[in-house]
Amino acid sequence: MTRPSRVVTRPPVSVVTALAILLAVAVAAAFAPWLVPDATGQDLMLGISGPGPGHPLGTDDLGRDVLELLVAGARTAVPGALCVAAGSMLIGNLVGLPAGYLGGWVDALAMRWADLMFSLPALLVAIVVAGVLGGGYGLAIAVLVVLFAPTDTRVVRGAVLEQRHRPYVEAAQLKNLSAWRIMTRHVWPNIAPVALANAFLNFAYALVSLASLSFLGLGVPAGSPDWGRTLSDNRTQLLANPWAVIAPGLAIIATAAALNIVGDWLYERVDRRGRTR
Amino acid sequence: MGEREARSSGRTGVDASGAQGVGPAGAQGAGRAGAGIAVEGLTVRQPATGRTLLSGVTFEVAPGESVAIVGESGSGKSLTVRAMLGLLPRGLEAAGTVRIAGERVDDDPRARARQRGGVVSLLMQDPFTLLNPLRRVGRQIADGLPRGADAKAEVPRLLAEVGLPADVAGRYPFQLSGGMRQRVGLAAALAGGPSVLVADEPTTALDATTQREVLALVRRVQRERHMAFVLITHDLRLAFSTCDRVMVMYAGRLMEAGGAAAVRREQLHPYTRALLAAEPPADRRLAVIPAVAGSVPAHDAVADRCAFADRCALAVAECRDGVPELRAVRHAPGPSADVSAVRGESGPSAGVPAVRHEPGVPAVRDVRLSACLRATELPAPPAPEPGVAPALPVTADPVLRVRELRRTFAGARRPALDGVSLTVAPGEVVGVVGESGSGKTTLARCVAGLERPDAGTILLGGADCSDYGRMGRDAVRQARRTAQMIFQDPYSTLNPARTVGAALGEALWADGRPAAPDDVARLLESVGLGRDMAGMRPAGLSGGERQRVAIARAVAGEPRLLICDEPVSALDVSVQAQILGLLAELRERLSMAMLFITHDLAVVRQIADRIYVLESGRCVETGPAEQVLDAPTHPYTRALLASVPDGSSGWLA
Repeated sequence: MTRPSRVVTRPPVSVVTALAILLAVAVAAAFAPWLVPDATGQDLMLGISGPGPGHPLGTDDLGRDVLELLVAGARTAVPGALCVAAGSMLIGNLVGLPAGYLGGWVDALAMRWADLMFSLPALLVAIVVAGVLGGGYGLAIAVLVVLFAPTDTRVVRGAVLEQRHRPYVEAAQLKNLSAWRIMTRHVWPNIAPVALANAFLNFAYALVSLASLSFLGLGVPAGSPDWGRTLSDNRTQLLANPWAVIAPGLAIIATAAALNIVGDWLYERVDRRGRTR
Repeated sequence: MGEREARSSGRTGVDASGAQGVGPAGAQGAGRAGAGIAVEGLTVRQPATGRTLLSGVTFEVAPGESVAIVGESGSGKSLTVRAMLGLLPRGLEAAGTVRIAGERVDDDPRARARQRGGVVSLLMQDPFTLLNPLRRVGRQIADGLPRGADAKAEVPRLLAEVGLPADVAGRYPFQLSGGMRQRVGLAAALAGGPSVLVADEPTTALDATTQREVLALVRRVQRERHMAFVLITHDLRLAFSTCDRVMVMYAGRLMEAGGAAAVRREQLHPYTRALLAAEPPADRRLAVIPAVAGSVPAHDAVADRCAFADRCALAVAECRDGVPELRAVRHAPGPSADVSAVRGESGPSAGVPAVRHEPGVPAVRDVRLSACLRATELPAPPAPEPGVAPALPVTADPVLRVRELRRTFAGARRPALDGVSLTVAPGEVVGVVGESGSGKTTLARCVAGLERPDAGTILLGGADCSDYGRMGRDAVRQARRTAQMIFQDPYSTLNPARTVGAALGEALWADGRPAAPDDVARLLESVGLGRDMAGMRPAGLSGGERQRVAIARAVAGEPRLLICDEPVSALDVSVQAQILGLLAELRERLSMAMLFITHDLAVVRQIADRIYVLESGRCVETGPAEQVLDAPTHPYTRALLASVPDGSSGWLA
């Protein structure tokens, strides 16, 4: 039966909203030092307070303006999470693609590695690493990349297995193309959407996970403006000024959701290949 | 049909049982007053895009009568019955009146709900997915029984009616063959005691021999129960053999309607003629299968003209001036009509005045309807030229020699290939026929090196290619240049991410012919495609165009052997004729040998010089195509031949 084809029109409201959010986050991240030069300035006399004049979202227990912290926090939160999402997806593709396509011992080796990683308690590993190597934002990112990579590897491998026996792949094999060429030129473009969608999800997880690591002393130092850090620092002040907790949480959720929406839309726009038929 | 209805019944899925829910009314026993189907002025639109997908469909089916709706993909045949049953996909809306069993249902969702599974039943296309794999068959049939019915008594009775033993009720779907599952689907569809049965391509997923059995069963049951029966099919001959009347649809419009025997004898619409001519005969080889160029247009693209005008050799200016109405053209000859008349012979010619079909009055049963302005003056179609298999020089050096090939898949009970030997001479087309499970595809994949045989040898151009894993780089490259392959499914044979030009350019490069920009264009033209297609992605191409690109990719390096694995079985007949013509042309131009795998004896007749018949991994018969198909010696070959629809009403007997 004839299925009505999708009609590509102007971006819907949701996408426009999402783009606006991402733009705002990007601007905040890029220009925070100029926008809010004094984000960490304390006002111990004021202390914690709810939203009011001069402080639209109130202040935290050190009297710091929550809105200013939020703007300044984008500068640490977003690039870190992006690095984690991109880094783990890079490893996931580099390992998952050959594992799924070549199979055999390559696959076995990659999957046992993934199993091993899954069997390690993530936070424990993080603490040990922190204890041995000392803390730091860069180290936190590296640890998360290593911890996220096995999941991505599995996702990529699964997607490759699905494509592996499609006639177009077999036709490429019959043309005697090298395995590398088939993997990169033929299989990868068709699994890229899956990898990309997974990277967006990872971004959201990474935002929160970086906060957890900060809490363990691995990530940004306590008190630094960072969405995750602010969220975990202020969680005890939920009753005094709920916005000190809700606002960074909302920032994380909104950024992650907006990335997902824009990602989906971009994919549909750029890639009108008709995934099924 | 109201908007509410179209939306409320937007689900396209069907209960696991294959029947539509439980009819609380439990209309046991047919033969109500005014039963049957009456559809008038049916139109289907997609409001979101403003497109109209089909319009002006009017027909009726009396109790005990069987009507086939025939058309290629895009003709609107499935949409018609889905709109009729209130099962349109989400986003589509229907208008027009539908009466089922005397009750007007198009504006009454509750009447529809009441009727589903009771008065009306639907038999689905794919027997492999219509049953819930986790439930026993008997319970799935019992789902469709009217409330209060005794399942213990009724289920065995229904199973017996569809020719299955009672103990099937206790089995799971995976324990049944495709034909048995479709029988179970029929039993489930009959459970509610329907007076209207609709079957949507019920046998396309089945083997030819099974198809014949299932259709014969459906027809017998339909007659015994005196049900109004609507069959959707793409196969005109199958429709002739199965149904009393035939309606031909094209681009969302009815083109022609009439008694099966009368339409078979003489087609009063050029499209019907083209459709019938494009179906290759199994009993003789044609020099060229008459194929109509182009493809089915969208309904809206031909809103101001005869839908077929742009592809019609007989079109005149008036054909493009307004939509010709479906009108009564000629009263069919009486019941004494010679059913076995030879196709192509003209019936009584012009002279009968064209009766204007009054809108609103349902078609009179013994009247021929045609939407062609020139229906009464169509010239007799030219008799197709018989073709002969080209004589081949005898050579001692075959391009392919397969000896005692064996392959057993892990976990399988019997081998897929059980000692198959065959040879293909240079330039020769060798057909390998058999049903699913006969091992024909495994054979093709072994030869192509996509599957490794357990034992036996494969010599490609004299070189041993039995195990590609142990061959050197140069040997593999040589083998790949010798043999190339085209696949069945046009939708997955091309990489959806790459443009046609990139795919062909790479094929030329891989075959050691570094592509000048013009080479891709030339390659496209060699398979009958335009140069501008190089920039397109597969999603923008039709099935036939994709298969042409796949063929171009395979022949880019001018291989000596082309392995064709069911290359036309997923295509519409008119496209199939085009592709077969292309393959024949390429074979001649490149003097290329072919290993042609197919289940379709009519297709293999048109292209193969020699035939091997496979059954359960063994070759049971081989010889020149004429000899095997005209004088088959093995019972399996005879059964295969008998299962090809010939269009006669005696075919299902």
